Amino acid sequence: MGFILDGLDSESYDRQYSDRELVRRIISYFRPHGGRMIVVAAAIMLSSAANSAGPILISMAIDAVQDQLETGAVLLLVGGVLLLGGLGWVLNYVHRALAAQVIGDTVLRLREDVFSATIGHDLSFYDEHPSGKIVSRVTSDTQDFSNVVTLVLDLVAQVLLVAILAVWLFAVDVGLTLLLVGMAPIAAFIALRFRRVARRVTQQAKRVRAKINAQIQESISGIAVAKSFRQEHSTYAAFDVDNRRSYRVGLRRGLTLNTIWPVMNLASGAGMAAMLYVSGLVTREGRLSPGDWYLFMQAVTFFWWPLLNVASFWSQFQDGLSAAERVFALIDAEPVVVQTASEGVSQLEGAISFQSVELAYTAGDEVLDDFSLEIAPRETVALVGHTGAGKSSVARLIGRLYEFQGGQLLIDGHDIRRLDLQQYRQHVGFVPQEPFLFSGTVADNIRYARPEADDEEVLRAAMQISEGDWLGDLPDGLETDVGERGGSISMGQRQLIALARVLLKDPAIFILDEATASVDPFTEAQIQQGLETVMRNRTAVVIAHRLSTVRHADRIIVMDHGRIIEEGTHESLLAQGGHYCQLYETYFRHQSLAYVESLGEQPTAQLDS
Amino acid sequence: MRKSEFRLESARSYNRASPVRWLVSHAARYSLLPLAVVVMQALDNFFYSFRQVLTGRAFDLLTGGSWELSALLSLALGTVGATVVAALADLLSAFAIETLAQRIERDTRDELYLSLLGKSQTFHGRQRIGDIMARATNDVRQVNLMFSPGLSLIVASFMAIVLPVALIGAVNWRLLLAPAIFVILWAITVADYNRRLKPVSEAQREQFGAMNAALAETVAGIEVVKTSAQERREHRRFARNARLFRDYSVQEGRIQARYLPMLVFVFTWAGGFLHALLLWRAGIVSPGDVVAFAGLMGALRFPTFISIFSFNLVQLGVAAARRILELINAETELDENEDGAARQIEGRVVFDNVSFAHGDRAVLHRVSFSAQPGETIAIVGQTGSGKSTLTQLINRIYDVDSGRVLVDGVDVRDWSLEALRSQVSTIEQDVFLFSRTLAENIAFGCGDASPEDVERAARQAQAHEFITGFPDGYETVVGERGVTLSGGERQRIAIARAFLTDPRILVLDDSTSAIDSETEDHIQRAMRRISQERTTFIITHRLSQIRWADRILVMRRGELVDQGTHEELMVRSPDYKRIFSRYDSGCRAGPASAAQDL
Repeated sequence: MGFILDGLDSESYDRQYSDRELVRRIISYFRPHGGRMIVVAAAIMLSSAANSAGPILISMAIDAVQDQLETGAVLLLVGGVLLLGGLGWVLNYVHRALAAQVIGDTVLRLREDVFSATIGHDLSFYDEHPSGKIVSRVTSDTQDFSNVVTLVLDLVAQVLLVAILAVWLFAVDVGLTLLLVGMAPIAAFIALRFRRVARRVTQQAKRVRAKINAQIQESISGIAVAKSFRQEHSTYAAFDVDNRRSYRVGLRRGLTLNTIWPVMNLASGAGMAAMLYVSGLVTREGRLSPGDWYLFMQAVTFFWWPLLNVASFWSQFQDGLSAAERVFALIDAEPVVVQTASEGVSQLEGAISFQSVELAYTAGDEVLDDFSLEIAPRETVALVGHTGAGKSSVARLIGRLYEFQGGQLLIDGHDIRRLDLQQYRQHVGFVPQEPFLFSGTVADNIRYARPEADDEEVLRAAMQISEGDWLGDLPDGLETDVGERGGSISMGQRQLIALARVLLKDPAIFILDEATASVDPFTEAQIQQGLETVMRNRTAVVIAHRLSTVRHADRIIVMDHGRIIEEGTHESLLAQGGHYCQLYETYFRHQSLAYVESLGEQPTAQLDS
Repeated sequence: MRKSEFRLESARSYNRASPVRWLVSHAARYSLLPLAVVVMQALDNFFYSFRQVLTGRAFDLLTGGSWELSALLSLALGTVGATVVAALADLLSAFAIETLAQRIERDTRDELYLSLLGKSQTFHGRQRIGDIMARATNDVRQVNLMFSPGLSLIVASFMAIVLPVALIGAVNWRLLLAPAIFVILWAITVADYNRRLKPVSEAQREQFGAMNAALAETVAGIEVVKTSAQERREHRRFARNARLFRDYSVQEGRIQARYLPMLVFVFTWAGGFLHALLLWRAGIVSPGDVVAFAGLMGALRFPTFISIFSFNLVQLGVAAARRILELINAETELDENEDGAARQIEGRVVFDNVSFAHGDRAVLHRVSFSAQPGETIAIVGQTGSGKSTLTQLINRIYDVDSGRVLVDGVDVRDWSLEALRSQVSTIEQDVFLFSRTLAENIAFGCGDASPEDVERAARQAQAHEFITGFPDGYETVVGERGVTLSGGERQRIAIARAFLTDPRILVLDDSTSAIDSETEDHIQRAMRRISQERTTFIITHRLSQIRWADRILVMRRGELVDQGTHEELMVRSPDYKRIFSRYDSGCRAGPASAAQDL
């Protein structure tokens, strides 16, 4: 099925399953519902039979009337039509209602499976794959799959109906039936041709629409600027050109798409006329009863639409299968971080030991190279270096968020690969560069790592940071709604919440990727105090961006290209005059008070230089 | 006439009294098109159904005594002819509705855009861009969809019922019994079906959104989920959402399965057939009439499937129209005050006991201070403490609720708005640049600025260096070929712009942070330079700006809690002192003294 993938959606973990494998996989999901599936299948077959018997009975009724039959017989036939119609409806109900259940249950299981697989992956997986695509595989692709199953069942019902009717018609007259069936390729041809054109104009229209939207976005964002400088006319002129183009392309697409039904109707009408004439002649020769003639006439429309559906269905069917394929590929993708044992971790001192660790996200591209570092319990270590030096890799290895390729990483002397990860991570507190908040209240977020903590514990944790005065700046204190991803509160407040979260969890090891975003000086002061509280009495590994943090660290590790090139305290490293000095000049100098004070000393004349 | 700062002579006016009237007035502009849709749909369905009448005649011909081959041929040709006419009418109607829909999309977008250009800065200063965008893109599109396919489907379905029924009446009026019953029962059952389906479909759609959003959150926060060892909890949450979605899907499937109009169709069709047979036996209708009737009744099968979809589209379209109209009709509350004071501003700004609230949320409470011409005032405080709002009162993006804001001793409300705003400039936190060249962005609004002027301004703003770093220099087009500017660079472009326009009062919202010291040096110099020779308000996180401002306003939750010079505040304000205290210890041991390369 792989050839359907247009390459745009494919991910590195995508694989191609043979059709057989794919079908086997799909069936395995339906197997637990075997009983209900049999009922659905029976309902489909019986309802198709009932629905196709209706027109046949009518044709018989017409013949019966021709032959001047008793009223009773006519009533019986019409009664039969009614009964079959009712029965067809009931069976159709059974088919659809039950199918909705089975498909619902199946897709639910598929979704849960793919979710479990997704969340089981380590961070390298998430780094590699855009989160939007992961989400769409779990929700949209499974939905596409479910839609296609519904579609298949509907189509089977329609095709069965046509098939039963066709068999009957063959028995009545072979030549006429062949004429009828011969229309199928025409319908298919038109439909497929049309799809190609439709796809092209739709893509064009999409592009143009994206352009006009971008144009509007830009001009609305800049409208205040445009207005204050009286540039309305030029802005409008640019918009007008795009708007007109969008109209033209949109219209072309609309007109093209709208030709399909008239063309199809034209083709079916031509078929109907041909059938009227040819079958008329046959009837006149006495080889066809009037009732059967009527049946053939009706069959033109009966046949036309299902055949059209089959033709246009094929590509949807393919899309549905590739959706399933994408989902299975995600389920089957191998997790990289694999624990070799599950040693319990009840208490942790917080000693960390990197021993000749080798790390490469892609083969041959070493991020950490023979990296060794001993961190003592309750030590504060600041990692500094340029972007790409390997600082975050060190921090994240401690959180066991990535797998490493060589060497050893020991926590309190135990191999990190042998620990029970769930238990181990209870003892690790991690604050990423952009603290992530879940929608809910401030208290919910502080409690995130320890859902069982009571309100008092949450409050105590919050009060430990900057004596809790930050809570007063939140409109509803701990009950403040943080909004989607924390959007309702400031960046600085998000950092404070992330710190409170760690305090409540009370881990032995604290890992911080310091934020670079600018925060107002009052909140910044609160964060500083909070940080000091959090780092007290636990092992802290900090990717430092703040001068105050490096100054207060017990030890600064200077990294470059995955190696440690210098280490020591702020003062000793500065005195050394090495790489740290350059880093200080580049990243930290402007944060110093000396710098702030020096600015006042420059004569203003110098500013023009 | 509505106040507007910009209008085109050629712009049309529409009825903006209500969404429906507005849509009608838009459609009325092309009145021929809706008319064509109705007429063509009628023709299409007439000829489409008429083929069933021809089939009936053929039946009579085949079974009756007066057989002629030419008659059969002409009936076959008649069928072809009817088909061709029907298809053509269908095509024309589709073209007409599509043209109408696309034109209305174009026109409404144009109308909305023009009205946005006509709105005051006040309006744009308040409006959220995302909200305007949603209306200018999705809602405008929704109006298009309302016409095509929404309204066109409704017209088509209506005609697809009316014309076959009319033709049945033309065959023999007595045959109308069954179709009449069908139409009544159909209307009842369809309405009932839609009423049942709608809430479930909506709930299902919403649940899908909720499931998606929650999952997106989990994936985005995966680092936190994992390090907090909360995978199981996230799994439970997802499973709960997915299960709820499943339940709605099953419920929806059951409602859809129970589609009563189809049963109504089957029953009335069979009943009608019996009725026709009985009429035939009574000698009232011919066998061909029975066949024609059966075919015409059969044609009602299509509109039986008319979906909730088309009605929904119309509802959504009207709702979208309402939102667009709201925006178009939004009034600007401030008047231009063209007769107000209009002279050169010196730059004295006084806040006299100013209070202001957004709706019922108090933002500023009794704020008083004064700034002398040429002074640099730093405003510090936490996010949401009212810093930005305070500055927006100076150029009247908002007007005070109580108290006064005076510029050169004159209440801002007594200044001519044009004179006031042309001399009070704002450099926002997120500087917006147009997709034009850097030179044009700097000279924006100063059409007469020469390249030399632009370069001088750029040099003063410390932007010359990075601009000439681009291959195309000043001719570099923003946004093209991946040219993006950092926050600090954008800020300096805006400062260069301000050097050209030379406002008397400048508001600088400076909340970006420089990653490295060199950039910081540049920004510092640019800001110090621009703040000379004019009254400058700087909303800032930068300690150096605070340290070296002439005066500092300390805001907390809408109140001005303290003001004064750095030295005064260091003595007086513990809050203020705290922000400098973390720099207490003497780290002056930098290898290169910090000021050296300035």
